[in-house]
Amino acid sequence: MHILLVEDDSVLADGILRIFKGHGMVVDVVQNGSDADALLQRTEISVVVLDIGLPGMDGFEVIRRLRARGSNIPVLLLTARDSVQDRVYGLELGADDYLVKPFATQELVARVRALLRRSAPQPLEMHLGGLSLNTSSRRAKINGKAIELSVREWAVLEYLLQQASRVVSRQQIIDAILPWGAELTLNAVEVYISRIRLKIADAGIEIRTIRGFGYMLEKTEA
Amino acid sequence: MTSIRVRLLKWLLLPLLVVNLAGAGLVYWLAWSPARTAVDQARILMDMVWLEAVLVPVLAVVIWLALGRGLLPLKKMTADLETRSDDDLSALDQRHVPLELSPVVTAINRLLDKVQQDAKAQQNFLANMAHQLRTPLAGFRTQLEWLLQKHIGEEESAHSIALMTSSTERMIRQTNQLLTLARAEPAKFEKERLRVVELNRLVEESIQHFVEQAHRKNIDLGFNLQPTRVMGDHFLLRDLIDNLIDNAIRYSPQDGKVTVSSLHGKDGGIFSVEDSGPGIAPSEQELIFNRFRRLDDSVAGNGLGLAIVRDIAKDHGARITVEPAAAGGTVFSVHFPFPILGAPSRLPPG
Repeated sequence: MHILLVEDDSVLADGILRIFKGHGMVVDVVQNGSDADALLQRTEISVVVLDIGLPGMDGFEVIRRLRARGSNIPVLLLTARDSVQDRVYGLELGADDYLVKPFATQELVARVRALLRRSAPQPLEMHLGGLSLNTSSRRAKINGKAIELSVREWAVLEYLLQQASRVVSRQQIIDAILPWGAELTLNAVEVYISRIRLKIADAGIEIRTIRGFGYMLEKTEA
Repeated sequence: MTSIRVRLLKWLLLPLLVVNLAGAGLVYWLAWSPARTAVDQARILMDMVWLEAVLVPVLAVVIWLALGRGLLPLKKMTADLETRSDDDLSALDQRHVPLELSPVVTAINRLLDKVQQDAKAQQNFLANMAHQLRTPLAGFRTQLEWLLQKHIGEEESAHSIALMTSSTERMIRQTNQLLTLARAEPAKFEKERLRVVELNRLVEESIQHFVEQAHRKNIDLGFNLQPTRVMGDHFLLRDLIDNLIDNAIRYSPQDGKVTVSSLHGKDGGIFSVEDSGPGIAPSEQELIFNRFRRLDDSVAGNGLGLAIVRDIAKDHGARITVEPAAAGGTVFSVHFPFPILGAPSRLPPG
C-alpha cells in the first residue's frame, strides 16, 4: 500500500500527502521526474500518482521508462492540461487513469483506491458507518451484530461498499456481480437494493437512488 | 496583375485620338483654304467653338465611363470585404488586384495578419493563464478539504473553511469557463478534431459532481440516458453538458427537480435538460445567450455559461431550443445534426 506521489507544486503535494495519510496510506513524495525514476527502480511501489508537467524529465518520460522496464505498477496521471492529445498520449504510454487539476480530493482518493485494489489483494475487512464486511469469512455485521445476506445481496453490497460515496450505474452493478453470460434484469437489481436497504437500516448508512441511473452508498448525514 | 492607369488609357486612347485627328483635320482644312477673309475667320472660330462644345460632353461621358471601368477592381474589393464574416481574418487575394491597389492590399493584409496573431495570442494567453491557475487552485482546494476534515467538529472553524471552499470552487469554475471560452471561440475551432462521441457517456463522466451539487440543494436529479452518438469534440461537449446541467441546478429552487436526457432523434442526437426553475419569458429567450447576461442577480454566476453553450453548439452545427417545461421551469435542448448510425459500441473511454 505504498504510494509514490510525483508533484512539483509543493502546496499541492503537501495537501495530497495529508489527504492520503488521513486515509491511512503510506506516501513517498518527490518533486521531479528523475528522482521519481530513480525511486521507482529501487523501491516497492503499489501506485504512482504522477504529474505530467515536471521540471526536467516530464511525467510522460517517467512512465515511458517505467513501462520500458516491464513494470506494470498502476499509474494515475495528474495534469493541468485537458487536451485530448495529452490524455491519449498518456494512456498510450501506459497510464491507467487520468485526472485533471483541480480535482475533488474524494475523486482522487477513490481513483487511487481503485488502482490499489487492482495491484493488491482485497482488504479483509471493509467498514462504513456501523457496517462491516469481512471478505474472507463473508460475514456482514452491523454495530457488531451479524446479519444474513443472500449471495447476490452480498455481492451487490460488497460492490457498493467498494465504491462507497461514488455513484454507480445499475449496469455497473450487474457487470460487477455477475459472471459473464449470466442474465440479470435492471428490475432485479432494484429488488436486491430494497432488500439490502431493510437490512442495513440501523447502520448509519444509506443507499441513495439516482433517478434513472443508479445508486450511491454513503454515510447518513448526522 | 492589371493597372488602373492602363485600363483608363485603353478607354481614353481612342476618343483622344479621334479628337486630335478631328482638330488636326480642321486646322489642315483651314490652312488649305485660300480665302482668308474676316467672314471666314468668324466662321472658323464658330466651327471651333461648336466642335469643342460637342467634344467636351462626349469626353466627359467617356472619362466618366472609363473611370467607372477603371475602378471596378476597387468596387469588387469593397464588396468582398463587406461580405466577409466577422471572424474571417484571412488575407485578401492579391492576384487580381490592380497595380495601384497592391500596396493598399498589402497593408490591409499586414494589418489583418497582425489582428489575427493578436487574437490568437490573446486566446493562447487566456488558455495558458487558466492552465497556470489550475495547479495553485488544486493545491488550495486540497489543503482546504484536508483542513475541513480536521476541523469538522468545531462549528465556527468548519463554517469559515466551508466558505473558503465555496469561494475556491467559484474561482475554479470561472477559470474553467475562461478556458472553455478560449477553446470554443468559433475562429479557433478546428473541424478536424471532431470524433464520434456518445453523449450519454459524457454525462456519466461528470455524474458524481452533479449528484453532489444537486444533493446540497436537495434537488431530485434524474437521468434518461439512451445511447446517443454525435460528431463532436469531447471536451467542448462536456463543457456544454456541464454548463446546461449546472445552470439547471443553479436556477432550480431548493427541493426542485432536474432531469437530464440524451436520446437519438430521427435527425440526430438530442441532449436536453429540464429544470423546475422560474422559467424564462419569451422576450428573454434570445437574450439569455449573450455574454454576461444574467436573469437573476441572486443566483451566483458570471453570465458566461449559456454564451459558452451557444458557441459550442454553433461549432457543432447544433441548434438550441428553449421551451417551457410541462411542470413549470424550462427545457433546454441541443439538437445535433446528422444521425450517427451503427450499434453503440464500447468506445474507448474519453
